[in-house]
Amino acid sequence: MTTTVSPPRVPSDPAVRKTQRPKKAVGIRYGLMERLAPYGYVAPFFALFLVFGLFPLLFTFVVALFDWNPVGSQTFIGLDNFTRLFDDPRFWNAAGNTLSIWLISTIPQLFIALLLAHLLNHARLKWANFFRMSMLLPYITSVAATTIVFAQIFDRDYGLLNHLLELLGADRFDFRNSVLGSHVLIATMVVWRWFGYTTLLYLASLQAIPRDVYEAAAVDGASGWKQFVHITIPSLRPVIIFTIVTSTIGGLQIFTEPLLLSPQGQFSCGAVRQCQTLTLFLYEQGFGQFAFGYGSAVGVVLFGMIVVIALINFLLSTRIKGAQ
Amino acid sequence: MAQRRVIATIREEGDVVNVRRIITVGAITALSAGILTGCSNSSQGGSNADANSFEFWSFTGIGQGEQVEAYTAENPDITIDLTEVGQSGETAQALTTALAGGQVPDLVLIQGDELPRFVANPGNFHDLREFGADEIADDYLDWVIEQPTAEGGEIIGIPTDVGGMAMAYRTDLFEAAGFPTDRDEVSALWPTWDDFIATAEKYTAATGEPFMDNASTTVFYQAVNQVSEKYYDNDTRELNFDTNPQVKEAFELGIEAATSGTTARTPIFTEAWTAGLQNGAFAVTSAPSWMLGSIESNAPDTAGLWDIATVPVGAGNWGGSFLAIPAGADNPEAAWEYIKATQSPESQLGHFLESGSLPTTPEVYDDPELLGTTDPFFSDAPIGSIYTESLLGVDPFYIGPDSGVIGAELQAAIDNVDYADGDPAAAWDAAVTNVGNAIGG
Repeated sequence: MTTTVSPPRVPSDPAVRKTQRPKKAVGIRYGLMERLAPYGYVAPFFALFLVFGLFPLLFTFVVALFDWNPVGSQTFIGLDNFTRLFDDPRFWNAAGNTLSIWLISTIPQLFIALLLAHLLNHARLKWANFFRMSMLLPYITSVAATTIVFAQIFDRDYGLLNHLLELLGADRFDFRNSVLGSHVLIATMVVWRWFGYTTLLYLASLQAIPRDVYEAAAVDGASGWKQFVHITIPSLRPVIIFTIVTSTIGGLQIFTEPLLLSPQGQFSCGAVRQCQTLTLFLYEQGFGQFAFGYGSAVGVVLFGMIVVIALINFLLSTRIKGAQ
Repeated sequence: MAQRRVIATIREEGDVVNVRRIITVGAITALSAGILTGCSNSSQGGSNADANSFEFWSFTGIGQGEQVEAYTAENPDITIDLTEVGQSGETAQALTTALAGGQVPDLVLIQGDELPRFVANPGNFHDLREFGADEIADDYLDWVIEQPTAEGGEIIGIPTDVGGMAMAYRTDLFEAAGFPTDRDEVSALWPTWDDFIATAEKYTAATGEPFMDNASTTVFYQAVNQVSEKYYDNDTRELNFDTNPQVKEAFELGIEAATSGTTARTPIFTEAWTAGLQNGAFAVTSAPSWMLGSIESNAPDTAGLWDIATVPVGAGNWGGSFLAIPAGADNPEAAWEYIKATQSPESQLGHFLESGSLPTTPEVYDDPELLGTTDPFFSDAPIGSIYTESLLGVDPFYIGPDSGVIGAELQAAIDNVDYADGDPAAAWDAAVTNVGNAIGG
């Protein structure tokens, strides 16, 4: 093992090189195993991914072409599920709800996170680590618990928020039974859950900005706001795009909150499906109605949407790299 | 560069290290393979082939545990592996997955709403006639035993209990509103649903408070279960919900209640509903027999303030469950013995006296003990007679695979008028369109 401490440099003297040739040959023979070894190390993940990730994914594409009753017959119907899906107002309603909830949740979330990251990055902040860690608390809280608490706060008859509205002289507002209200309710939960995570991402890249850039700007008389606009935001651009893309993908998959807001035994999230998201619609079809084929078709379309968004991400991030 | 150096060094170390690496790689591969095969092994070992034991999937809150205990106490050589999977819907989900995957329990409890889907594919279950179910079929209410009977005559389930229908009301709130509080006088207030809604309007006019919890369950869902033909034609088994005047009538009653301004706009089993039970936000709620336990456990402080009146029109059923034996069961005989012993008229009577679960066997309905059963929480209402009477006039109607979806969409349309001030005039057409979308018509 002593040889590991100072590995021999490749000698420049051709005579010495010659003497080492046999060893090199040995190296090639064993090199095969060494090249295989990394694959062995990653094999467990890929074996599991194959069984629980890739196979179900591909199988979804197959099932989407069938009228698939898990306890009855399975009939091949080609693309009928997709033609039905694109004609189904419930699908477009769910897509619209998903988009709306995504907009109402992502935009405030990113602004709040940006602001908080800026504050947490302040050099004179005391107990910075305490504040930074506490940002993550909502993220590690169970979604079910968050949903129950927020649903109570926003409740029409007994909610804290409506109580405050009443104290202020305003009318009670039924969040869960109105379209916009239910979207705001879900978006609030999404923001609550994710703002800390996004803040920490921003904070990490903020800390990569050299302090002297700010100092130089300060010396030149730039105000805090100007520093924020001209230094902070441009340096954060890659991570901002990253968070927009991840929150979009996350937004397409919002499920637990609308599920828990649905009446017992239903997956509609309200009388007119006012807050049913795409994933909840998928679940309703697949595991409420047991229309596996139709549910899979929803899954395939959702998959397509996410691929498109990932592609946009890829194009944007290559452009940013190119610009730098 | 650093990495290359290290690799070069390892190469020089020769055989020993490489053998170790080979072992490591091999071990990891074997381990991952082991994990995978381990998974498949354990799923194969899920059911037991022992002739004296069987696996039983039930749902929570239905008290099957007590029955299993009582049965194994009497039959000490039998072992029952009872799993309370979750709510009834979750249990049906698990059963569906199990049937699709081929690893099934020996005995499963299926809730009435979930049953039609399984009856539509009877090949997944043992036809219980092979064990003699047709000999005991007459023990059960005709309209109940019809539900687990498939088109070809296969009987795939035995009914364990039914719901019956009634109205629970708050005597203190009725008294404050100047209404009668005696259960017979209250029942006399609403011989029809129109009378019920008129009573509601009178109550709200007198007190300014909501009368019932909501329109879709308390009025529509109960009224639509009093028909002689529901969403399907009884003979052809074709969908006819959109042309059946009985369904339309029940729907219109729901809309009338929703627009009467007398509902507290709270769906059952929500937090607002349990809060309303406690603080008197409404004076009346639907009360099929299994609901009594929910009212009692959610509002224990209101003991003695509730009473039970009959439902308008009189007869009707809401709920019930069935025991079935999947075709792939390892030990169907033991499961059948359990069904036969626990679902006989005497056993169902015993179960009612213990837990209030309503028997499906009419021959025990005039049992003096059953008729004498009262519930102290509900002002000593004679629940035995109230509920069994509501079961005797029920007309049998065919329940098809899409009945559940249709009911849910019709309820949602009424909810939209009740909770979100939707347009009552457009509700029926919207509901019919929504059903069309839902069942792919």
